[in-house]
Amino acid sequence: MACTRRDLLVGAVALAAPFLSRGAMAQAQPFRFALTPVFLDNDAAIISTLRAALARGMGQDIELVQRRTYQEISGALLDGSVDAAWTCGYPYLQHRAELQLIGVPVWRGRPLYQSYLIVGSGDAAQSLSDLRGAVHAFSDPDSNSGFLVTASDLAKAGETPEQFFSRVIFTYGHRNVVRSVAGGLTRSGSVDGYVWEALALAEPDLTARTRVIARSEWLGFPPFVARRDRIAERGVETCRSALLGLGDTAEGREVLRLLYLDGVIAGDDSLFDGIARRMAVMAR
Amino acid sequence: MMIPRLFRDLPVTLRVPLVTAGLMILMGLVASQGVLYALGRVQDARLSETARLHVEGLSVALGPSVLRQDVWEVYDILDRARSAYDGQRLLLSVVADERGRILAATDPPRAPVGNSIAAFQTGAVAPETVRMTGEPVLRVSAPLVIQGREIGSIVTELDVTDLLAERRSVALWLLVGNAAATALLAFGGWLAVARILRPVGTLVQAMDAAQGSPRPIAEAEIPRGDPGFARLIETYNRMTTAVERRNEAERRLAERERFVSLGRLSSSLAHEINNPLGGLLNAADTIRTYADRPEVVRQSADLMQRGLGHLRDVARAILDQNRLDRAGQPLRPEDFEDLRLLFEPEAASHAQVLSWQVEAPAALLAQLPAAPVRQIALNLLLNAGNAAGQAGQVGLSVTGAPAELRLSVRDSGPGFSPFDLARLMGSGPLPPGGGVGLRLVRDLVEALGGRISHDRHGGMTEVRVDLPLREAADA
Repeated sequence: MACTRRDLLVGAVALAAPFLSRGAMAQAQPFRFALTPVFLDNDAAIISTLRAALARGMGQDIELVQRRTYQEISGALLDGSVDAAWTCGYPYLQHRAELQLIGVPVWRGRPLYQSYLIVGSGDAAQSLSDLRGAVHAFSDPDSNSGFLVTASDLAKAGETPEQFFSRVIFTYGHRNVVRSVAGGLTRSGSVDGYVWEALALAEPDLTARTRVIARSEWLGFPPFVARRDRIAERGVETCRSALLGLGDTAEGREVLRLLYLDGVIAGDDSLFDGIARRMAVMAR
Repeated sequence: MMIPRLFRDLPVTLRVPLVTAGLMILMGLVASQGVLYALGRVQDARLSETARLHVEGLSVALGPSVLRQDVWEVYDILDRARSAYDGQRLLLSVVADERGRILAATDPPRAPVGNSIAAFQTGAVAPETVRMTGEPVLRVSAPLVIQGREIGSIVTELDVTDLLAERRSVALWLLVGNAAATALLAFGGWLAVARILRPVGTLVQAMDAAQGSPRPIAEAEIPRGDPGFARLIETYNRMTTAVERRNEAERRLAERERFVSLGRLSSSLAHEINNPLGGLLNAADTIRTYADRPEVVRQSADLMQRGLGHLRDVARAILDQNRLDRAGQPLRPEDFEDLRLLFEPEAASHAQVLSWQVEAPAALLAQLPAAPVRQIALNLLLNAGNAAGQAGQVGLSVTGAPAELRLSVRDSGPGFSPFDLARLMGSGPLPPGGGVGLRLVRDLVEALGGRISHDRHGGMTEVRVDLPLREAADA
């Protein structure tokens, strides 16, 4: 049912779009950009700097939209209530038919990151297998690093998280996973390696109470996406240019500095082949 | 018993401030208790309010998350509530689902997810009934209710060490403050009471002055500002005058007693003088009749000489007894001879048997003044003679020991009446009627530092007077 309604909505928006003056649209409402909730969404400085940088790059007002889950972001993208989003590789691949890349961030020289398996700093566990029966924290069921990597690792061994762990909780935020493990709420957690490394610089006291016991292979960094059928729209195009040109403006460089990123490249779907392989393991 | 007695022995100028201080301490204790009680009430109310607000606030925030059993949301809310709370009051908050399994706690290692909350509910009370118990950590437990349905429970540990410290600090300050105030007020009370009681002190001093004989208080020392005290002192002054007058009267009476005792001897002494007179007149007649017979004249002259000699001795004894200039003269054996001369006729007139033994050597007697000892012996002899009656026995013995002289007067009379004993031995007021002779004995003995004892055995009454010898007393 949901799929049908979403398709109808997408179709309706696609049909209506040509009849609207692009200038009138731009004037009437700001460009709506959704932010990944599992990201550094607690830092108001980053949010406002990113908005300023995008607004400057696009030459128009920007509205940054935050939702609790990837599912909500994906839904908002598909039903057109947001124009573009910074999401995760996993939901991007889940909706590859409807969505298209408009850019991939470059971190430490590559558009790649890892998923970390963390435990409390005093925990003796050395690998995932040591964590059987633990209370485990995931960030989001649609997160690659915060769920898919660990779940697919377990799936390879014929296990599910619910069976393997005594209890699984979703914190809907990579920082929350770190807090959960650091505070002792859960024994272990699956976290975005980029976020953990960024936190290690921003909040070393927090990450110091955790220890990384496993790192995944390098996987495609969470990308910027827009709806495939709206990719040619001026707003989306301008957004894509603004993202790719972040390193060219002072505001853009500032936001890249705050996010510990090097820049944004156009990227291609092959970056996410690793995630696709893990999705395939899960589908088996 | 010891302390009250010690307390009773303290001067009133010290006792009253002590009582004031004691009452102040009592008042301080009562007031402190009141303050601590009020503080306890305030702290309890504050604590209860904190606990209630905390639990109620969390209930509202946690409700939906607990309903969904969203462990992270519950933890996140608890964690943010804890960091938002500025004080360190809330040590631990534990939230459980309706089956009592822990969903999350501010300190997950202490209260792991999935464990039972029962251990944390031990000793926990409802927020509105939480009270300071002296424990540094108190537990509060409350159900989580949404739309009338109980969906879980929350236990919070409250750290009240600061409140306990506040209580201790207040108690300490109350103690110090009350001690200082009490000391100050007690000192003030002492000053005030001492000032108020100063006339009493003057009165006590005046009463104690001059070996127990009260002296009047000078007009200048009478506190005119205090009519009560002024009246008291005036009354006291009147009393001292009356006592002085009475003493004067007693002194005069005693003085007169010397003559009285002689007066009582007068008739027998008159006989003593009269008897030789007949012989003397006869001798004079014989001389006149036989003037030519020298042996008769010589014999009569001898007779006259003996009679006149006796008269001279009696006259001298009477004179000696009354001579005032003999005051301070030392006692001699002759004094007892005089007494015998004076008393013997009295005894003879009643056909009494008189035994007389003066064994003390002169050197020992000389250590005592003559006049009072003579008076003591004479009065006791007169009393004994009176008591012995017709054909009775009266005796005097004077013996010396190295340290004292003992006069012992015996008689065969019926013994002392209680009134006479009171005169002789007691110091109370003289009962009306009767003479002052025995009381004078007592006063004289006392003045000489001696003591009187009384005994009755073998039908004889004996009064012993032991007088310390001066040299021994000085030694």
